[in-house]
Amino acid sequence: MFNDSDVQRILEQAMSTTADFAEVFQEVTESKSVGLLNGEVIRASTGFDSGTGIRLLAGTNSVYVYSSDNDIEVLLKLAKEAAAAIKGNEKGKIEALKELCSTTKATVQIDPMTVAKSDMVDFLRKSSDFALNYDPLITQVAGGLASTCRTARVINTRGVNTEDTTRRIRLSVETIATKDNEKQSGRVAPGTMRGYEFINEYPIIDKTKEACDTAIRMVNAGYAPSAKMPVILCNGFGGVIFHEACGHALEATAVGIKASYFNDKLGEQIASSVVSARDNARIDGEWGSYATDDEGNTSSDLLLIENGILKNYLVDELGARRMNCKPTGCARRQDYSYAPTSRMSNTYICKGESDPKDIIAATEYGLYCTNMGGGSVDTSTGDFNFAVNEAYMIRNGKIAEPVRGATLIGKGQEILKNIDMVGNDLELAAGMCGSVSGGVPVTVGQPTIRVSSILVGGRES
Amino acid sequence: MDIKTAERFMEKLVKAGMEYGFEECEASFAQNGSMSIDILKGEVSSYENSATSTLSFRGLKNGQMGYCSTNILDDSSIDFLLKSAMENCEVMNDKDPQFIYCDENNKDLYFSQITDAYAKNTYKSFSELGLKLEKAILALDSRIDAVDNLSIACSRGPFLIINSKGLHSYRDTDGMSIYAGARATDSDGSVKTGGHYWIGNDIDSFDMDKFLARFKEILIGKMGAKSCKSGQYKTVIKSEAFQQFFMAFFSNFLATPMQRGLSLLADREGEVIASDIFTVREEPMYDKALTKIPFDDEGVLTTDKAIIDKGVFATALYDLRSAYKAGKKSTGNGFRGGSSVSEGPTNLIVEPGNKSFDELCQEAGEGIILTDLSGLHAGLNAISGDFSLLCEGYLIENGKQGRPVEQITVAGNFYEVLKAIEAVGNDIINLPSGEGEFFTPSVLVSSLAISGDDEE
Repeated sequence: MFNDSDVQRILEQAMSTTADFAEVFQEVTESKSVGLLNGEVIRASTGFDSGTGIRLLAGTNSVYVYSSDNDIEVLLKLAKEAAAAIKGNEKGKIEALKELCSTTKATVQIDPMTVAKSDMVDFLRKSSDFALNYDPLITQVAGGLASTCRTARVINTRGVNTEDTTRRIRLSVETIATKDNEKQSGRVAPGTMRGYEFINEYPIIDKTKEACDTAIRMVNAGYAPSAKMPVILCNGFGGVIFHEACGHALEATAVGIKASYFNDKLGEQIASSVVSARDNARIDGEWGSYATDDEGNTSSDLLLIENGILKNYLVDELGARRMNCKPTGCARRQDYSYAPTSRMSNTYICKGESDPKDIIAATEYGLYCTNMGGGSVDTSTGDFNFAVNEAYMIRNGKIAEPVRGATLIGKGQEILKNIDMVGNDLELAAGMCGSVSGGVPVTVGQPTIRVSSILVGGRES
Repeated sequence: MDIKTAERFMEKLVKAGMEYGFEECEASFAQNGSMSIDILKGEVSSYENSATSTLSFRGLKNGQMGYCSTNILDDSSIDFLLKSAMENCEVMNDKDPQFIYCDENNKDLYFSQITDAYAKNTYKSFSELGLKLEKAILALDSRIDAVDNLSIACSRGPFLIINSKGLHSYRDTDGMSIYAGARATDSDGSVKTGGHYWIGNDIDSFDMDKFLARFKEILIGKMGAKSCKSGQYKTVIKSEAFQQFFMAFFSNFLATPMQRGLSLLADREGEVIASDIFTVREEPMYDKALTKIPFDDEGVLTTDKAIIDKGVFATALYDLRSAYKAGKKSTGNGFRGGSSVSEGPTNLIVEPGNKSFDELCQEAGEGIILTDLSGLHAGLNAISGDFSLLCEGYLIENGKQGRPVEQITVAGNFYEVLKAIEAVGNDIINLPSGEGEFFTPSVLVSSLAISGDDEE
């Protein structure tokens, strides 16, 4: 990491023309991963990367320059180019640098970067050995375990001087069941910011069995129907619907340029009154957590929706300038090659009051989705889609036959109003979110919820 | 860092790798310089400029290949790279042999295609063009509220490989792109969005009038869009959508997924897998492509080939490793993805038919046109070929493009779609894809399941 006098030189160079704000972001990331296919270790890799990004702002005009070369002369040259490109009215000030504030948002007992790859392989092999002997229909099992340790330093002309370290581990097990010409998969993919103790404690056999069972059920399932119907989304990764249908439209990236269907809706009813939701980056050890954001702000636990009323947007520095409000500590970026912007962290629909069994019993006919894939949204129109990996028909208030191949679509603003039951079984699940500042680890979550009507795009009429 | 410094470091690293105990080893260096601007509300809202590089090392020991990468090129990195790569070799137990290669007759490979036109890519030229384009888009139609995304970008970079077998391979490329996305409000207050792109390697070859005409067609064409009734429809998949669709399933044509049981095309070379009017070729040096690729990242020369020839699955794409396993020759499709090597396509071309887009609609009679597919990263099963995707498009009524449709899904199976292609158009477009580009026209498919709102 740079010393303070180098940083001061970069900031001075950046502020030499008409920027009102400059920020230096320096990052060092170590990574290691192993991958198994049917018990063979087919991938083992190690990486060490670092780089620096320099951002200048003048009102809402922004300039971002970055380099993987951390040589001070290279960065001074980039800062000079940036200063020449910024379009402000007058020269801004540089405040004295505060004392370095170092943070991390997880209690780590075993640093994952110190774990030998052979131990990572042994762990994944347990999963492979189990899956390959579980059922003749299971023909492939792939396992992956990846750890990263990222240290990000942020220094800006307001004196901010922070350094945040995040260690993350992601495990994935994918099983494939084959029947005739048909192949279907089952997957578990937890992520954590806890140490390697999370892996040591993880019930890998039980979870591999779940993935195998999903693949087997789906390879035997018929196609989902095509129709509008009530849909029950089970807890955990079902929360991807809120992430897509609502979360992205609350980010300043969309709201700040009036490209969101939730523009100017603070204090208004945007969801059914049974819906409350939060974006909480401060949950200890959770996959999407962080202590300090990529603009050097302390992370927050933000109430987004309370009983259906919109309470807060997710706002970064540039968004705050556009929206005339304060940043909420949600600025994130994949790495130094992206300027930061407003992003979600651990975003979930809060626990409700219904027993999940009662939600199913109260549904005469519909779709019960137990395992969801990813999705996407257009924050201007509200059009969203997300894939269902495992689902069952509900007939007469009971779970009936399994179905596959469905995608749920709708308008985000309408779906939120159609959530009519919220369960009491809140659960969170890890995922990756891709947006303008790259791919970042996020957690989605929800209790079991029911949407009274949603279009299920299947193949059977 | 200049390429000469990187080259000296790589030579030192490869020598040190052999002394460290690797049987063979290889270093590769990728550098990228990029510049981009965003336009918003009559101003250059954002400017980006970057220079990044990555060095990857791989070493072979006891039949296993260990990888490691970094962007720090100094002596301390040599120890880190060699030690980590060796540690990775030691935990692996891959049964298939791996290769570090050099063709005795082609040890020194060099291909530079950075054009003089790249020098025209400046902040000034980009901002002038961007501001003009934003203004022109807003003037297209009074219902257009804002151009939310307008980005002009360029990048270039060399890629160098040096290995212990004597390979010295250098390739570089450049390119630029323009993307514009706008938002418009329909008469009922609903919002529609649409975007269009352009890729090229000379800013002066950008045809703004042509771009604007297509942009208008895309965005304003959506006005009045609503869902349609569920059912089986004769479907014209428009070229842009067909490109996305075909590439989402392209891994099935690669040898490694086949050998790992992850493609239903395994052992089916020579079989009919598509309609007999459907041909897909790979031409690495295709004259209309912006990027030409004479050799792959393993030092193997590339060749022209049909992947699907009049419906017959002609060949999978192989790298050295998958070719060895199959008892074949590499097809020159071994490319770096991150630090490792796997198969990838260069320039792909769907052989055009003789019908225009309008004639495809005429042939359909009644049906649907799909112009946009969403959720391709999630709404499909790449192995089984099953898909269910949010889409947009138009109805086909009396053989003509009719009213716009939205909020519908299309579902089916990739392999069934290939067989159900009834006609191939001649309205070719090109989009970046793999190492090169994908050139494809629109296709007419006999029947696909559309889910919509039955009240429409």
